[in-house]
Amino acid sequence: MSAVFKRELQSYFKSPVAFCIIGFFGILTGLYFWNVNLSNMQIEFSYTLGSLISFVVFFIPVITMKLFSEDRKNGTEVLFRTAPVSTWKIVIGKYLASAVVFACMLVESMICPVIMYFNMNKGGTFPLAMTVSGYIAFTLLGLAFLSVGAFASSVTDSQPLAAVLGVIILIVINFIETVGEHIKGTFGSVLVWLSLSSRYNNFVLGMFDFSALIFYLSFTAMMLFITIINIGRKRWN
Amino acid sequence: MIEIRNLVKNYGKVTALDDVSFDVKKGDILGFLGPNGAGKSTAMNIITGYLAPTSGNVTIDGIDAVENSLEARKLIGYLPEQPPLFGEMTVKEYLGFICDLKRVPKKKRPAMLDDICYIVKIGDVRNRVIRNLSKGYRQRVGFAQALVGDPPILILDEPTVGLDPKQVVEFRRIISTLGRNHTIILSTHILQEVTAVCSDVVIINNGKVAKAGSLSDFVSADANVKRFAVTFDTGDKEVAEKLLSGVFKNYSFSRTDHGLLVYRFSTDSKSSGVKELFFNAASAGIALTELKPMEKSFEEEFVRIITSDMHDHREGV
Repeated sequence: MSAVFKRELQSYFKSPVAFCIIGFFGILTGLYFWNVNLSNMQIEFSYTLGSLISFVVFFIPVITMKLFSEDRKNGTEVLFRTAPVSTWKIVIGKYLASAVVFACMLVESMICPVIMYFNMNKGGTFPLAMTVSGYIAFTLLGLAFLSVGAFASSVTDSQPLAAVLGVIILIVINFIETVGEHIKGTFGSVLVWLSLSSRYNNFVLGMFDFSALIFYLSFTAMMLFITIINIGRKRWN
Repeated sequence: MIEIRNLVKNYGKVTALDDVSFDVKKGDILGFLGPNGAGKSTAMNIITGYLAPTSGNVTIDGIDAVENSLEARKLIGYLPEQPPLFGEMTVKEYLGFICDLKRVPKKKRPAMLDDICYIVKIGDVRNRVIRNLSKGYRQRVGFAQALVGDPPILILDEPTVGLDPKQVVEFRRIISTLGRNHTIILSTHILQEVTAVCSDVVIINNGKVAKAGSLSDFVSADANVKRFAVTFDTGDKEVAEKLLSGVFKNYSFSRTDHGLLVYRFSTDSKSSGVKELFFNAASAGIALTELKPMEKSFEEEFVRIITSDMHDHREGV
């Protein structure tokens, strides 16, 4: 698994894609920080993070689009599928590499709350708990989004198609909540329950929602499991 | 070393392999031949674990390669038709990654990689980015990848396609050298390659084994049919054919060589009739300037097997 992880991570940072995504995300974070926190004197950075989710929906499929489709296109898939390595190790190795790119985006965005934290000496307290819980939620949501992107990449050998498919699935997942709220009865409740972003709000308010943690992790595990099945299935086609 | 039994592979309604069985003995270099689309790559993909068969068994050194694919893969080095390379890596980084993937112990790596680079002659490009290498060098790096971990079995899918003649000769030399202590399956449609390096041959056509055996079985398969080429010291076809038809039923005009007629004829060894032709020609005052037996070539045998198989196939349909 470490071999796959190492190679995938190297490939991310040998091409300009990862740098572009991280850089562009940094610019957007800065703009929102300026607009939400500095101009409007809003002290909670978790609100800013919440606003960034709608961009993450587009960023993450671009990160994950290459994970499996690139190997299928280049004929390097055969290397992984004939090496003495299980499919799950390949999928997890690649997924973790994409998670590192996402982690870079997170770390980069932390500059903003750090600036706020060290400029609180003129009275007022920095809402540390809310910021931390906001980051925990953002990380969990990001990991779940990455697993969706990984699945999309395992479906096709075209990277652009994988990215578009990933964006569509993530948009649908995010819209489920709005749609569910307008549907009465059990079906509506199920749709709201399935929504990834609905669970984000409790964290933003500083509450550590244990059930949400389980939900995000289970969702991620399920998507990765489907990806493993989807790749393993090719051997039998 | 490799036992393949009743292998069937269907892609939807298309049958790519239909009850294929053959064995590869330890230390053999098996030439795996067949026209395009015959099912060679599918069979190789199943042996290497890339694909699973619809039914049938592959046993590699006693390990069931379908059920216990991961264990079987440890014994195989595979060079697919298109070498699986990462263009952005240097050769050194790439081979390092393959070592990681195949879990080669760190202590063994430097000596093993030195050996491999020496065998496939890529020592001088180790620090070059793969994307910038020529086709020949990329093929060698792909070959090096298959050798990492020193697997006892090598499966090479058309390794010389796209190489220049000098590189082809070089590759055959490498394969012959490796054949001393490896079991090799070499897929190709270059027949000289088989006669140059292989000890055994399996010909596959329309997903079935058309013929399998040692190379000598193919070259002297019909030992009792003798074929000759004869050159008459005359340019008169009528005279030459009269002499031939007096003795043989099967003869054909081949070419004119410096004004002299060259014919081919075949006969069975029991009543060869060659002597008779010689004396008949002498008494007619025509010398035979050349009379030589022709060995059946591997190419001819291959074409005969493939075409007769196609014929059978059409009749069957």
